[in-house]
Amino acid sequence: MAVATKTSIERSSVIISVFSTTPGIGKTIIAINLAAGLAHEGYKVCLADLDLQFGDVLNYLKLNSVNTVAGAQRALLDNPSTFHIRDFLIDYSEGDVKFSILPAPLYVYDAYQTDVQLITDIINKLSYFDYVIIDLNSMFSALNLAMLDISTVINYVGVIDFLPALKNYKIGYDTLIRFDYEESKIRLVENRSDSQKLINAHDVERLLGEPFYHKLPNDYPSVNKSINAGKPLMFAAPDSKLTKSFDELVGLYTNRPEEKAAAETSSNVSIFSKIGKFFGF
Amino acid sequence: MAYKVIVVEDNQTMMDSMLNVLRRSPDFEVVATYKNVNAALGQASMFKPNLFFLNLENEEMLNAVPDFVDTFRGAYILGTMSQWDPLDVNQAMEGGATGCILKPFTAKEILEYLQLYSVRGQRKPAELISFFSPKGRAGRTTLAAILAMIIAEKTGERVALIDADLQFGDLPIFFDVEPKRTLVDATQDIKLLTPVTFAPYFHEIKPRVSLLSSPDRPEYAELIAPDSLVEVVMMTTNIFRYVIVDLPAGFNPITLDVCRISDIVFVTTMINSGFEIKHAKKTMEMFSSQDDGHRQVKTVFTRVNPFTEENRQKIANQLGYPVDVMIPNEYRMISVANSGRLAQGLPQDTQLMKSISGMADKVIAFGR
Repeated sequence: MAVATKTSIERSSVIISVFSTTPGIGKTIIAINLAAGLAHEGYKVCLADLDLQFGDVLNYLKLNSVNTVAGAQRALLDNPSTFHIRDFLIDYSEGDVKFSILPAPLYVYDAYQTDVQLITDIINKLSYFDYVIIDLNSMFSALNLAMLDISTVINYVGVIDFLPALKNYKIGYDTLIRFDYEESKIRLVENRSDSQKLINAHDVERLLGEPFYHKLPNDYPSVNKSINAGKPLMFAAPDSKLTKSFDELVGLYTNRPEEKAAAETSSNVSIFSKIGKFFGF
Repeated sequence: MAYKVIVVEDNQTMMDSMLNVLRRSPDFEVVATYKNVNAALGQASMFKPNLFFLNLENEEMLNAVPDFVDTFRGAYILGTMSQWDPLDVNQAMEGGATGCILKPFTAKEILEYLQLYSVRGQRKPAELISFFSPKGRAGRTTLAAILAMIIAEKTGERVALIDADLQFGDLPIFFDVEPKRTLVDATQDIKLLTPVTFAPYFHEIKPRVSLLSSPDRPEYAELIAPDSLVEVVMMTTNIFRYVIVDLPAGFNPITLDVCRISDIVFVTTMINSGFEIKHAKKTMEMFSSQDDGHRQVKTVFTRVNPFTEENRQKIANQLGYPVDVMIPNEYRMISVANSGRLAQGLPQDTQLMKSISGMADKVIAFGR
């Protein structure tokens, strides 16, 4: 892993894929807030929406774009020599936070035409970012597996409020292990962890044989506010416990992979953390 | 009492071999044989037959199925074929045939087929209903399961549930069953199966409702070829009057193929962030662009709150299509599904059950 240092020649991004085996449990919210949190720490971040048919990243941020991964794929295919991924990104910015987005195709038909190898090439071309966050859909598709392959870590999300969801979380985890993904690469993240539920988190950890890497609390009102405002939680609900929890998760993802990384941007971090404290998150 | 049998067969060798079997069985009395369709249609009523074997490999005979059904009301009309041909079978069933049988056959096999076909329900083509949802988590599976049980209850006919959500099918857990055979087995064996040998692939959940399960590991989904799945679904329509398919989320070869042959597609959406309506619109546009005038694509919105006509209109305006079915929220459903008791007891007399019951009525009316 390397971090944005102007002098470094070889670098590659940390790729965090946000994956789950149950749909509709907050992957996109997690992806957006990871991107925003990392950007807030001073990293160069790109968020790729690879929920190709029904991606929600632009929706949740109230953005519009005609440039999408579908356009990028066409351009890469037609004119590989003049292709630059930069031309297909759109920026989200608010205050000191700015990150880029590679939007999902606008039309189902375009989504249907995507090619796994070309998308992999496109994601690899994002290597000038410090972090690439990939929002996936809830299936073991060829595309998702290719993305999990090139990911540094897999942020594997589960919501344990419903028996079928738990079954799918367990089956998904076992499948990832069977597919030879290292356990250290798979980060179990429980979403809506403190919602009223019949299933105990300890039992889930026992079932999986692995503790949760992080637990995100249930905070429907803040998420709602965030989606309605079209802004990440740090702006829409700065004081919420969920915002704080995302900040902790970002902390885990910035410090853990390599201590040096944090040191190189330590000046940034301290400034931002002071601002953070001032704003109460 | 023995069946009074008429055999219509233009191949003499085949005729001899069939007669050989039928004449040795006390269950069958061959009252006449014909090589020609028109002779059979014109003369057979003299013998008051109640079971016909028609050679469907002969196109003239295949096309005459509706005439036989019309002329000999109440009689069983079995199409015969040396190799299972799903399209011919389909045509015969649409013509009102009781079903089809592979020849040569044994007397025991005939009785098995007749048993299978008579419990199926009315001698009408099956109705194939598939549940599609753009992103998933729409209540699709719950709805499919409850609809299956209500239709079986209302009609007394047999209903099949096919869990084609191949990677993460939830129907076995909803019913708390562990079927021995799954869609993987069915799709791999389908070329060699007949309705009689295929029927045991289903797991009976309750009388008249049976389940064909999804694979137990996500990677097994890859073993299921879309065209084999289509064949499985088609053979299911031969032994069940209603076939309900729970599809995986989004457009993929499996969902497109199954929707292509479906009579009704329910596009199921649960409103959460609000953008789901946008996804449903995209989905409806996709289906409209492939409209062939055969299937009906209906929109279903689950957990609609407030559950009012005003809200229906509001959703419809945003969607650009009518809201065909609205399902209200029912928290008790979660605990029922959680405990695998879906087949035993549903919260009765709730708005939820009334809505799904209304949905069942529409489905039943469509097939009549």
